[in-house]
Amino acid sequence: MTTTLAQQPAASAALKQAPAVGHSGPAEAGRRSTTAILAFLRTAAASAGSGLWKAAGIIAFLALWELGPTYLASPSTRVFLPPLHEVLAAWGKLFESGSIQTHLAASLTRSVSGFGAALVAGVSLGLLIAWYGRLNAVLNPLLELFRNTAALALLPVFTLLLGIGEESKISIVAYAAFFPVLLNTIAGVKTVDPLLIRAAKSLGLSSLALFRKVILPSAVPTIFTGIRMAGTASILVLIAAEMVGAKAGLGYLIVNAQSSFLIPDMYAGILTVSLLGLAVNFLLVALERHFSRWRTAVGSGS
Amino acid sequence: MTAKISLRDVTKQFTVRPGKGSKASTAGTAGTSGAKEPTTLTALDSLSLDVHDGEFLTLVGPSGSGKTTLLDLLAGLSTPTSGEVLVDGQPVTGPGKDRAVVFQQYALFPWRTASANVSIGLEGRGTDGRKLNRRERAAKASEYLKLVGLAGFEDRFPHELSGGMKQRVAIARSLAYEPDVLLMDEPFAALDAQTREQLQDELLRIWRATGKTIVFITHGIDEAVYLGQRVAVLSARPGRLKEIVDVDIPDRDGEDDIRSHPAFVEQRHKVWTLLHDEVRLAQDAGHRKILPDGTAPDEVPGTTLERSAA
Repeated sequence: MTTTLAQQPAASAALKQAPAVGHSGPAEAGRRSTTAILAFLRTAAASAGSGLWKAAGIIAFLALWELGPTYLASPSTRVFLPPLHEVLAAWGKLFESGSIQTHLAASLTRSVSGFGAALVAGVSLGLLIAWYGRLNAVLNPLLELFRNTAALALLPVFTLLLGIGEESKISIVAYAAFFPVLLNTIAGVKTVDPLLIRAAKSLGLSSLALFRKVILPSAVPTIFTGIRMAGTASILVLIAAEMVGAKAGLGYLIVNAQSSFLIPDMYAGILTVSLLGLAVNFLLVALERHFSRWRTAVGSGS
Repeated sequence: MTAKISLRDVTKQFTVRPGKGSKASTAGTAGTSGAKEPTTLTALDSLSLDVHDGEFLTLVGPSGSGKTTLLDLLAGLSTPTSGEVLVDGQPVTGPGKDRAVVFQQYALFPWRTASANVSIGLEGRGTDGRKLNRRERAAKASEYLKLVGLAGFEDRFPHELSGGMKQRVAIARSLAYEPDVLLMDEPFAALDAQTREQLQDELLRIWRATGKTIVFITHGIDEAVYLGQRVAVLSARPGRLKEIVDVDIPDRDGEDDIRSHPAFVEQRHKVWTLLHDEVRLAQDAGHRKILPDGTAPDEVPGTTLERSAA
């Protein structure tokens, strides 16, 4: 907070001189760019301030990780819990040899293909089910059964049927990601405000136009919540699947490092997994925000 | 004058599914209806009404007198159980570009800007079979937003607008595809008194400027008399046409406060008296609104049956 307060006056003081320097351009344009820069600096200062607070927890955790094993833990524990710098060094070595990239690429290929397939299937089937009530009545009990069967419980089935190659891993990722997308799509379509449908009908929209212009956009935020949940689920299941049987991938890296007693390598793998998870979530949240901009003031609006 | 809209012996009945809390009440009507049997509810009972071309007709009635049902029939959102709804002599078979509806809760599409909301009715093929391109639609939307006094608000999303502004956008949206008839369902009921008066005057101005036929449903007797050339009073459920009051106020366009004009006061009182008995009847019977999907959650089935039999 203090940084925000301290940086703002400094920024505005610096900007007061700006018009005097850049006198050549028209005054109007100069003022506009000044306010733009000012606004940018203000947001930058503000985000730096709040970013510092947000980073405090992470920094404390990393400090504990670095210092804890050295000063607090017994020597035997220290072997299983190496301090941060050793893990980072191991990560650097893995990066240099290119093996972390290979594993990351393998994992990403699987999760993107599985997730993509789930997305397409989940959204289109969800729209169909929500649109045709009869289909919903038939499929709903079945979907409930499958949804409540933990995806990992089916891993042996997938392995038996599809082998230990890519197919089984992509399939199980697709399976795990499919249900959040499907169920949220159905929910999104079903919770469209009936008044909006009435309004659209009174405007003479055909069923197809009604679907495309009213039902779909109104369901998008709910669908995206499902997509975000699916993103988390797909990474979780993927890592587990790779741990059970694979020749590459981050899950394989972690398990293999553990059994080879390369403990820092194992932590490097775990670190990569959590960074991947963060990146995926960040990307999906940004997408979700982009598609639900109009929702900013829900609660206070309409 | 020719009849723009004509309703002939229109009856509309709903099949009401018994609500969760209606178990106790069905006990009293045992014999006429089983515990889980749906009951029939008559919302409108052989109602006949003509609306002239270019007329501003207001419609008042107690809660549950079928005002919204009537509007749905006119809009083509539902079909009458019996009788005919004619617009320009043709039976109404569904929603059409010749009629537009303005709802009480604005019903704007929150993901569309004001301009995009107004132009949604222009996105299909027009009456001449031509499709407007994006720029033409935006230009038309601006034109109608200007007509309702919202020039410069094209890029605002609904959540960035006040209630009065939202309703202006909704009015612009319904005017934009140039319907002949404007159907308004308590459009100003959710607004504060000042905004309401302002919008009433604007609506009158737009009506005079465009010459649309307007059917305006309202709870407010003042509003009905102030806006309408005629006020149709509906009876308590089942809705029948009780009386049509011709509103005749001299020099309406004058600067004076029409609401305190003796003629206004007299006609207001007339409508009030007509409505008063019906409101009490409706309250005694516990009539509530029928939802668009045909359910009446608060409805007590027994009383409805008695009333429709009477």
